[in-house]
Amino acid sequence: MEQRQQIEELIYRSCLALDDRDYKGFLALCDAGFRYKVAAYSPEIRKEMVWLDHDRKGMETLFTNLPRHNSDHAPLVRHATVYTVKVNGTQAEVVSALQVFRTALDGGATELFAVARLIDTVKLDGDAPKLASRVVRMETRQLGFGSHVPF
Amino acid sequence: MAKNAAEWNAAPKFPTSHFVDSRIYTDDAIFEEEKEKLFKPTWIIACHESELPNAYDYRLFTHPAGVPLILVRGDDLKVRAFYNICPHRGNTILYDPAGNAKRMTCIFHAWSFDTRGECIEISRAEQGYQNRFCKEDASLREVKAEMGFGGFVWVNLDDSCGPLKDFIGSALGVLEPFMQEPMEVFHFNRAIVNTNYKLWHDTNSEFYHDFVHYFNRITGMLQPGYFERKYTGFANGHASVGSMSIQYDKYEGSKERAVGWPGLAPGGWYMVDLFPGMTYNLRTSVLRIDTAIPLGPNQVAIEFRGLGLKRDTPEQRAERIFDHNTIWGPFGRNLHEDLLAVHGQGRAMREGTGSRWVIHGREENSTIHDECGMRHFYAEWGRRMGRKSYDPYREGRAEPALAAA
Repeated sequence: MEQRQQIEELIYRSCLALDDRDYKGFLALCDAGFRYKVAAYSPEIRKEMVWLDHDRKGMETLFTNLPRHNSDHAPLVRHATVYTVKVNGTQAEVVSALQVFRTALDGGATELFAVARLIDTVKLDGDAPKLASRVVRMETRQLGFGSHVPF
Repeated sequence: MAKNAAEWNAAPKFPTSHFVDSRIYTDDAIFEEEKEKLFKPTWIIACHESELPNAYDYRLFTHPAGVPLILVRGDDLKVRAFYNICPHRGNTILYDPAGNAKRMTCIFHAWSFDTRGECIEISRAEQGYQNRFCKEDASLREVKAEMGFGGFVWVNLDDSCGPLKDFIGSALGVLEPFMQEPMEVFHFNRAIVNTNYKLWHDTNSEFYHDFVHYFNRITGMLQPGYFERKYTGFANGHASVGSMSIQYDKYEGSKERAVGWPGLAPGGWYMVDLFPGMTYNLRTSVLRIDTAIPLGPNQVAIEFRGLGLKRDTPEQRAERIFDHNTIWGPFGRNLHEDLLAVHGQGRAMREGTGSRWVIHGREENSTIHDECGMRHFYAEWGRRMGRKSYDPYREGRAEPALAAA
């Protein structure tokens, strides 16, 4: 498989795993040094904000804790489009557009939940590409009653 | 045995101070009356001083009564508030939620205003108005604004209102020692939820709902001191909750709040609810402020702010942000649960569902699961509204419950 195709498939698989709440499957796509961050700029306070920031261990714990909490059960579906892939030696910087849709369990109505940009660093020095870091750069900042599940 | 219609509609067997008619959460006329009687003449938090640190910085705020406001810092560094409405043809003057504007110019016909609300230019004034109308006739509508209680900018739409300190009274006294240093907002987001604003404030006014929070059960409810926290009611419908030591290490993935807050015991947590919809929530390393802005009887915008200290090092700030996000961030454990809960109330209580009463009946010597915080709020609500929250239409249907009690 072409390298670009492998990288794109990694991004898409990561979305599918989170859509399915297959957290082990998601983490299997991540490098041991994986770091995940949700960030946004607030035009209201004119500041960069961090909404979530975890290393791999932190993500594992987050995924372990989520079932213990009361959460909205409506499924989220991530639609990603890989825009750019810049390979630099053993890693690649990947920028993707992300739309997240939420579908109500009762009746199945789907609504756009959020739009964001995924800024991923992908490690290329192993058997298969792995996510070294992901920054979810939120455009949407108003999430209604919100979500526990990261994008 | 489940209830039939008559039993469901009968008033709860509590004193009338211990339940409310759920129509106060859904009725359009009551909502409009609340805007006039509760919100317009009340001091409301519009923003924090750190959001407009420099001369000519401005911040927009939609007042709970519906009025769009500009908060702007003048060349004298005083923050003033004006309607964001051009006196010419009623257009919006400033569009971006924050910025810096030495001249505030309406894009429609280029009328310009300074930071004291004076009109400084009317385009082609003489040609159009000759001597009949001039800049002096075209000032902005100024609104009372005061800064205080942690550096927040408060506004009041009532020109004849009393001072802010009289409205607050001693309610924020418990937080006074912890608000001596300049603070800075590091987090802002707004959640719009289809529920009544009072239901959000109720949730901030009772801790019995800690059952919805796994985090609070593990780190608080199961720990020593939790059931000793006490409510204190204050004049004007405000209430506070005493502190305890939260055991953060009991939640997997959490950690000791190392950065802390000056003067606050490790794991400390104070809350003050201010009538009719604001909350100060100081929890170990972060001050969170909620401002409820009702958009309709069954819709509220809640503005959430997270604050640290202005003198924070980048490392300290990062720790505060981590602490904040664990429970209070948009993906935090507690915020989603609270929002989901009040969304559920809005869904069950909207007009026509058959919802009839909401019970505030728990009495536990004013300790943490007592519902006296809500009772205190509704006593003030009734006083200001001239309505009884248990009988808002003066139908007398709740009176038998009083007799039974």
